[in-house]
Amino acid sequence: MYSNEVIKQEKKPLWRFGTKEVVYAAIGAALYAVITWAFNIWQIPGAGNVGIRPAVVIPMFFGIAFGPIVGFITGFVGNILADLLSGYGFWLWWDLGNGIMGLIPGLFSVLITDFKGGRSILLAEISVVLGVLVGMGVAAISEMWVSGADMNTVIFANFLPAFITNVLWGLVLLPLLMVAYSAIVTQSGR
Amino acid sequence: MLVAWNYRYRNSLIDRIDPRARFIFSFAVLLAATSTWNPLLLAIIFLFSILWYASAKLSWQDTKRGWLMISILLFTMIVVNTIITGGGAGGVVPEGGQLVWPEGFNLFGRHMTFGLTVERLWFAVAQLMRILSISLVFIMIPYTMDSRAYGVTFRKLGLPDRLAYTMELSFRFIPTLARNFQVTLDAQRARGFELDSAKGGVLNKIRRIAPLIIPVTMNAIVSSEDIANAMDLRGFGQQKRTWLYELKFHWWDYAVIGLAVLLLGTVLYLAYGHGMRLFEVPPWWYGLFN
Repeated sequence: MYSNEVIKQEKKPLWRFGTKEVVYAAIGAALYAVITWAFNIWQIPGAGNVGIRPAVVIPMFFGIAFGPIVGFITGFVGNILADLLSGYGFWLWWDLGNGIMGLIPGLFSVLITDFKGGRSILLAEISVVLGVLVGMGVAAISEMWVSGADMNTVIFANFLPAFITNVLWGLVLLPLLMVAYSAIVTQSGR
Repeated sequence: MLVAWNYRYRNSLIDRIDPRARFIFSFAVLLAATSTWNPLLLAIIFLFSILWYASAKLSWQDTKRGWLMISILLFTMIVVNTIITGGGAGGVVPEGGQLVWPEGFNLFGRHMTFGLTVERLWFAVAQLMRILSISLVFIMIPYTMDSRAYGVTFRKLGLPDRLAYTMELSFRFIPTLARNFQVTLDAQRARGFELDSAKGGVLNKIRRIAPLIIPVTMNAIVSSEDIANAMDLRGFGQQKRTWLYELKFHWWDYAVIGLAVLLLGTVLYLAYGHGMRLFEVPPWWYGLFN
């Protein structure tokens, strides 16, 4: 009886978007924008030659921790804000791609039970690869419609550079964020 | 670290147009430009975009960063893929065609051959008009729209209340999070943390970012709990939201929306109803290479 109650409490409603989710999504989007902007504009020396967007881990992590809607908004709105801050304009199809990078890990959030468990981390890593694959795929393929680019251009000029760097950032940084978050979960009983 | 939005009031024509009307016009240009490869239609859309951009009174100093990014995109897509390799024209420009230099040309004393066709060159012009039309209307948005207007604009355009409020809230969090980011960076550096060290491979360099990103993220999550509680106590989401920043349509906003509908409708009608959707080369273009 007791264990059933515990399981019930731990089960996360996947598509909930209450007050907490509104705040998490807003914080996530702002965080994504600030970190992207800091690495873009302010240019932290030494880090610039590794890749361009370590912040891509933010929508992935917010998706894993708080569900697909929060993950999607973090990526979608965060990318809009980052572009607005950097003065790059408004590119809906890339915003959508970034949103999907948070949405797909968010779909895996129901399977994550222990943020520092090996199985959960493995599932999160799979979600990173899938999220970046679909997200950057959608954004890159949309360039065929917008700019009239052919498949080769889309793959080699748009998709691959974004896919490789984003997957790399996600695979390395996401487990570290998950382990750090597990300490907060334990401490505060979230 | 100071976050500065790029918007400032410039007393321009665009400043007087309602943000909703501006978004509707921008999306109409996007849809119109992507529905055709016809040079005449693309030239008309391009002209509208130039006039739209000019009405914002933006200086080069304001927008040069965005244009730099677009220049890289244009160089890759047009110069490298369409003109040099020809890959970018695949699927739109038919195979074969008239060579620009059928006999080849001499460069630094050596005879060279280059398979650039007149059709591919015209496709590059069409591609340039299409990408620039879209870029012109979208690049100006951060410089011409007050950051306070985004939430209410998207709400009035039909986005759910909570989603629009999330957007509004995220704008307000940015200065605080930027300050936290700077404080964390300074604190980590004071502890001897070497973010800028060139030592180690790629993975080490990526991992080196973690002591910066993790505290900022965890701190933000912990503080968000208090914000959510405060919002709940004030009954967030119980009633329809009102917005501090009010939007009001004027007759000229309706005129802009009408113009957007007219532009999109005409382009769609000509593209799909009169066969002006596909790529074609005007006869005078061939004349330039004979």
